[in-house]
Amino acid sequence: MKLKVGIYWGAACGGCDVAILDTHEKLLDIAAKMDIYLWPIALDFKYDDVKKMEDGYLDAAIYSGAIRNSENEEIAILLRKKSKVMIALGACAHLGGIPGLANFYTRDEMLKRIYIDSESTINEEGVIPLESWNVKEGELDLPRFYNTVKTLDQVVDVEYYIPGCPPVPLQIYSALSLIWDDMLPPVGSVIGAGDKALCESCPRVKEEKTISEFKRIQQVLPDPEKCFLEQGLVCLGAATRSGCGARCIKSGVPCRGCYGPLDDVPDLGIKMLSAIASVLEPKEEKEIDDVLDTIVDPLRTFHRFSMPASILRRKKE
Amino acid sequence: MEFEPKLVGFLCNWCSYTGADLAGTARISYAPNLRAIRVMCSGRIDPTFIIKALYEGADGVLIAGCHPGDCHYQEGNYKALRRYKLLKRILPEYGVEPERVHLEWVAASEGEKFAKVVNEFTDKIKKLGPLNMKQSIFDSMKEDIVVHESAGEEKGGEADEA
Amino acid sequence: MKRIEIDPITRLEGHGKITIFLNDEGDVENAFLQIPELRGFEKFVEGLPIEEVSRVVPRICGV
Repeated sequence: MKLKVGIYWGAACGGCDVAILDTHEKLLDIAAKMDIYLWPIALDFKYDDVKKMEDGYLDAAIYSGAIRNSENEEIAILLRKKSKVMIALGACAHLGGIPGLANFYTRDEMLKRIYIDSESTINEEGVIPLESWNVKEGELDLPRFYNTVKTLDQVVDVEYYIPGCPPVPLQIYSALSLIWDDMLPPVGSVIGAGDKALCESCPRVKEEKTISEFKRIQQVLPDPEKCFLEQGLVCLGAATRSGCGARCIKSGVPCRGCYGPLDDVPDLGIKMLSAIASVLEPKEEKEIDDVLDTIVDPLRTFHRFSMPASILRRKKE
Repeated sequence: MEFEPKLVGFLCNWCSYTGADLAGTARISYAPNLRAIRVMCSGRIDPTFIIKALYEGADGVLIAGCHPGDCHYQEGNYKALRRYKLLKRILPEYGVEPERVHLEWVAASEGEKFAKVVNEFTDKIKKLGPLNMKQSIFDSMKEDIVVHESAGEEKGGEADEA
Repeated sequence: MKRIEIDPITRLEGHGKITIFLNDEGDVENAFLQIPELRGFEKFVEGLPIEEVSRVVPRICGV
């Protein structure tokens, strides 16, 4: 019997959905094994169709995107109720992802910049979206824009995670095949990825790491054969899960951690901070400060994709 | 009632913990606010421990290790120093005062210094006030909830606050 | 006044909802397109190192 699956996006860019489509001819295999009951990017089903299903009707719900507003959360709760297995697809659902960078700000700071202060905006009355308002024909409503971006597993129980921004298409396929082959690992596992750090599968030559200065990528012509970190370029490979095939590194840019932390590491960013600090060369306070001065925007680099999933989750107000 | 800070201290086994022990056996009295955790080396202190301690309710974290050059494992305390320095830089971005994390070198013979360090650190955190990290993070999310249609009245009220 | 909600609108990148109001004759009185999604790149690219912006903004749309 074919599996019944719902695919949904919260605060996402659609890249994860496209990554499913990027399985190319394997998409035919997916279509042969699964019937899709919700997929806004590709198929015309409405929320009401899902609401009418019996609880547990779907075999799996695949949710990409972070929880940015109340609609994201409502649909997450709805899909959780209607499906037997919940899968977080991509860095946003898994870790909060790029939208999670908003956790360095408050809701009001965000709305002010977006609707009032941004250079391309003319908004003299200072109008910002309201959750509900009345027009003469009736009431209209919009979801609540949250103060804090959340990951999927902070609002509903999640069985499996497929990491990546976006996940590698073949990794999505192999993760989905675990469902129809009935080979799913223990609940809570990350599927469709490796279980070692990215450095393990990085093709670059790694020697002794002692860093006396950090550089920005536009300031140097990096050696394509040598470890980025050894060349003074901040690379998060040491703390990041493998499985992406080192695609950024092979394209000549250092890792930013979209595959998330390894098992039992609660906080990718802080782990990376620890790793980076331990390979600095100097021992004197003054010299250490000089080297640290050359790291630009450390926290938002270490927590590029993982701020909402980190221990502290957001900036304290 | 005066605010009594909760402090967590990560003390290295070879110098600082022994130094704290000496403060005890020498019957030096000092602020009781520090909860000491013995680690084998200050280089073992993962910044994750510190962040976790702050999240779980510590108002300040003290790291104490051997003086530079004295590390039982040669280089552990230098690693601790670098991590500490980088961690201090990112704390303001979390909205946490960097003074809440403090590193000090305390040798096994420095019982008096240990007592002094703890007293000074306690005073400093007393002045800064409570951190309340976990509570403040949850408070900042208290408006971030799904409001169901059945709770129509509530919706209007909360929207105004938000 | 009759109300028709098309939620979500599909087969496009992004989120949208259309609310249509019909009058007593069954004609469209008014229609609203609403975008219930906002992430706020405007804010969080502020102050980001310039070389990192080019790695963040592709996530505005991944289609």
